[in-house]
Amino acid sequence: MTTTIVLQQAINGIVLGSLYVLVALGLTLIYGVLVQINFAHADFVTLGAFAAYFFMHLVGLGYIPSIAVALIVGAAMGWLINASIFTPLRRKNNELLPLIATIGVSVMMQNLMLAWFGPIPYAFETEFSRHVIRFAGIFVSWQNVIIIVVSALTIALLYVFMKFTFLGKALRAVSQDRETAGLMGINPNFLIMLTFVIASALAGMGGAMLAPVLVLTPFAGTSVIVKAFAIVIIGGFGNVEGTILAGLIVGLIESYTTQFLNPGLIDIVVFALLLLMLAIRPTGLISERREENV
Amino acid sequence: MTRTLRTLCTSVAAIGLLTIGAVAQAQDKTIKIGALFPMSGPGSYFGTQDKQGVELALEQINQTGVNGYKFAVHYEDSACSPLPATQAAKRLIEQFKPDVIIGEECSDATLAVMPIVEQAKVPLLNAGSSSIKITQPGNPWTFRIMPNEVMQGINLAENAYRRMNARRAVLLFENTNAGIGNAQVFKENFTRLGGKVLAEIGFGRDVNDFTAIATRVAGLGEVDVIPTYTLEGQGLKITQALAQAGVTKGGGGNAIQIGTIWLPFGFEQKAGKAALGYIRIVQFDPTDARPVARNFVSAFKAKYNTEPTHLNAHAYDQIMLIADVVKRGGKDPETIREGLAATKNYSGVTGSVEFDKNNQNVKMDTIHYMETKPDMSWVSLKWN
Repeated sequence: MTTTIVLQQAINGIVLGSLYVLVALGLTLIYGVLVQINFAHADFVTLGAFAAYFFMHLVGLGYIPSIAVALIVGAAMGWLINASIFTPLRRKNNELLPLIATIGVSVMMQNLMLAWFGPIPYAFETEFSRHVIRFAGIFVSWQNVIIIVVSALTIALLYVFMKFTFLGKALRAVSQDRETAGLMGINPNFLIMLTFVIASALAGMGGAMLAPVLVLTPFAGTSVIVKAFAIVIIGGFGNVEGTILAGLIVGLIESYTTQFLNPGLIDIVVFALLLLMLAIRPTGLISERREENV
Repeated sequence: MTRTLRTLCTSVAAIGLLTIGAVAQAQDKTIKIGALFPMSGPGSYFGTQDKQGVELALEQINQTGVNGYKFAVHYEDSACSPLPATQAAKRLIEQFKPDVIIGEECSDATLAVMPIVEQAKVPLLNAGSSSIKITQPGNPWTFRIMPNEVMQGINLAENAYRRMNARRAVLLFENTNAGIGNAQVFKENFTRLGGKVLAEIGFGRDVNDFTAIATRVAGLGEVDVIPTYTLEGQGLKITQALAQAGVTKGGGGNAIQIGTIWLPFGFEQKAGKAALGYIRIVQFDPTDARPVARNFVSAFKAKYNTEPTHLNAHAYDQIMLIADVVKRGGKDPETIREGLAATKNYSGVTGSVEFDKNNQNVKMDTIHYMETKPDMSWVSLKWN
């Protein structure tokens, strides 16, 4: 086995891991603040992918602006669905209702997209897909460079927002104790809405980043969401740093399982890791920070 | 005179009513066809294109009817997967009570449906599933028009070895009955001829990024052919990843992707330059000069304003073969089953049909090869 192949698979794994992180971050944010699993998250990813695709092909302004459009579409849909469906259900003080509603929203969005976009896979080629950098036997497409750079920038911005801005600190306060945060003058409902908007914007942007990699159909997001859930659990539900670390680890596991074992074994290896984590470290990779997850 | 006239008028009226009644009764006679097609999930492109072929055939045969019968189709979404397919088949049989069922496309789904149709004693006419298990052992109620994986695999391996001079192969396949079966048949026959299989790489339907797989293939050294067995979406990503890794002709390498009946027409345009040199079996050759094929192509273009695909064609053939069986006396599930079994040299748009004792079509003229050219068009290779 040459060093080149090992290095190449490391790059492949980091690219894949970055994509998983973008999807999983939204899930973990919502769980951290609301203690709610959002089963519709995958469909925001798909919506972002289609938004980017159609913006690129109908407006023709290129791939980079389409990422911004996907982010905006994701954020707008997140706000709309939270305001019209989840918020009224949350007022009924039954934790199960919003959870089940996320399943309903997921099925509804999938079928609406099926009706609008049809079932035939779309080929999402960007101006960067076919430009490949080759160096000492290693190859990486410009598309993958963009994925790594945008993911790193997003993670950094999210980190700065959470740690150093008033709203970020308020979000963390709500995630720790919603009632006490309310007594301190923080409006929890506004921050819940903000969480949904940020998570959906991340999903939309993740969709635009994934679209050239994914098999783009109305069910595209569902193919990554199971892995994203696994990453969130391995990283520690609600733990942003843990999710980033777990995403990169899962990406690397996939690459090296493909190289040294067989891609058919990827799910076995990833979910064996998940079970192992649940058994020996159920609070996730970075468990010490569990009380301050967001 | 008045009495005679009244009697005459009454008689004419009675004859008229009887005739109208008989005609009405004849027009009421309907052959009910249940269609199990994937309408959702990753295989839903099958269902969309199948439906176009079915609707065209229905439009044509219902203009006059066949032996006084009209044809009605009820669609159920079988989702290319065993569980939804069995549920859809049960719904179809219990509620629609079909005389014959067509579908599914995916082998796993077809295999799951077969015991249900056998128990209900309704014939199942399949055109899109390649697993050998469908007809070996099969059951008396299941018929398959398309060449099975063994027929395709032997033919593909022989052509790869003899016509393409390939000696080293890497197998890429989805981990399903059809994917694994197709790959194994190729391997057995390619190695029997003297070829070598360097790696067998199976993957789940949830794999999206094939760069890691392409990297592994690139690390195997010189490869001549890469038989690939997967649905269109993953197929696109594999083709692009292999080109990006510099393995295939489309990426400046030497390897050529080959395959059996999995991908629809138009795949080349979506895959772009990466698909250069791809050689694959298709079930329908739009350049086929036979009148039945030419008439189908022109009727399809007139109705849908686009070229037909092999999925359109084999769905059309399913309905037209049933119409042929009805013409030969089929009128209910049992007689349609007997009629299908007795089919000899039926000429459809995908090729000809004649079933063996396992209800497998034995005609090899349903196997057509096409090669992707540099301008992303394709050429029929006329290898069979």
